[in-house]
Amino acid sequence: MVITVNISDLGTSNSNEDKIITYSLGSCVGVSLYDPVAEVGSLIHCMLPLSKVDRAKSKIKPYMFVDTGLQAQLKIMYDNGATKKNIVAKVAGGSKLLDKKSLFRIGERNYTVVRKILWKNNILIENEDVGGTKSRTMYLVMETGKTYLKIRGEEIEL
Amino acid sequence: MSRRNEIIARIQTVPSIPTVIAKIEQMLNNPDVSFKALSDLIKYEPGLTANILKIANSAYFGFKQKISSVQQAIVRLGTERVHELAIASSLAPIAHSSVKGYDLPAGELWKHSILIALGGEQIAKMKGIKPPDSVFTTGLLLDIGKIVLGTFVEIDVNPIMDLAFKKKIPFDVAERRVLGIDHTEVGAILLKNWNLPEEIVNTVRWHHQPSRAKQNSLLLDLVHSANIFAMISGIGTGSDGLNYRPDKEVMKRMNFTTEKKELVISMMMTGLNDVQDLLSLGLPDKSKK
Repeated sequence: MVITVNISDLGTSNSNEDKIITYSLGSCVGVSLYDPVAEVGSLIHCMLPLSKVDRAKSKIKPYMFVDTGLQAQLKIMYDNGATKKNIVAKVAGGSKLLDKKSLFRIGERNYTVVRKILWKNNILIENEDVGGTKSRTMYLVMETGKTYLKIRGEEIEL
Repeated sequence: MSRRNEIIARIQTVPSIPTVIAKIEQMLNNPDVSFKALSDLIKYEPGLTANILKIANSAYFGFKQKISSVQQAIVRLGTERVHELAIASSLAPIAHSSVKGYDLPAGELWKHSILIALGGEQIAKMKGIKPPDSVFTTGLLLDIGKIVLGTFVEIDVNPIMDLAFKKKIPFDVAERRVLGIDHTEVGAILLKNWNLPEEIVNTVRWHHQPSRAKQNSLLLDLVHSANIFAMISGIGTGSDGLNYRPDKEVMKRMNFTTEKKELVISMMMTGLNDVQDLLSLGLPDKSKK
């Protein structure tokens, strides 16, 4: 089954027949987590770095923000038997405009918060494709635990 | 024929928006026209009436009591808003299609356009300014040029991509270098053909390069900013990605703090969620079957 993750949402699976996919990551970040032992995987698509900008919103939509979203994603992983030691984390997105003056740093800030939270959880990012001005599609194939990116029609493994 | 002329010739073949829109447009420019005359004009267009009522009743406007007639919609929402909804209604089937060249699946451009329309209004409100009347309509029409230009972008996609992503030239500038025209000018020509007001035409024309417009305008500042926020959200960003440049003068005037920037995006997403009826406008109506 294909599980589509909308913006500000999470998809999770423990079936090796599933593929979890999210489209059009602009400055948003996608984080895929996979535990090969527990055979559980998940993908989030977060738009903004910190929930403090709109607390009420973060209550209804925790996955809109990296801080609340990634923590909730990790909890779901742990609840499903995943361990810090086994989780494979991959990150994509965080694009920016052609913006020499750095007027908009939302993508960069999103990525920084991802790193911070994973670091606190003792999880290293295995691979990442962040920054630039591209829009990315990201998906996790549960059968292999591999994460792929699709950028302008081209597919690459992350 | 040069590529530019070929593209301009293609614009002339795009069917115009329905005549009723042009009629509404003329009516609104005449201060003596009554509410009733406007509602009479619309009510004989069943499709348009249905769409206006559908959107007027969506969560975005937050009316507790159901709006059940066009006249009521005009009284509650105002003539300008009803006019905008009429434009949205006739635009949806065109803007809902997939867009070649930019790699946009069906519905994405429409979603992007609605997001800009909402964003323009929300930014104004956040700054305590009354949104200019045409900000919503302009937002909807901002990227209309992509529909025509997409076919040509697809043919020359490699040189355009190289300029944009390897040489880091804004995507619209890359379009112009390769094709002799960019999607903002294509859009402006199209809207001029549709007899839309000059202010809208000019804003569409300079939405990526506001500093080149003849004069500064709040409308242009708002849609330029809203477009940036929409790109950051990723909604409706295709092969062109975020490869555009924010205008530093506009940003100076808008003076967004980091927090405000993020709040605007959050508000735009809520707005988009509240106008699902607007989003589904371009789709075939299943209830009729």
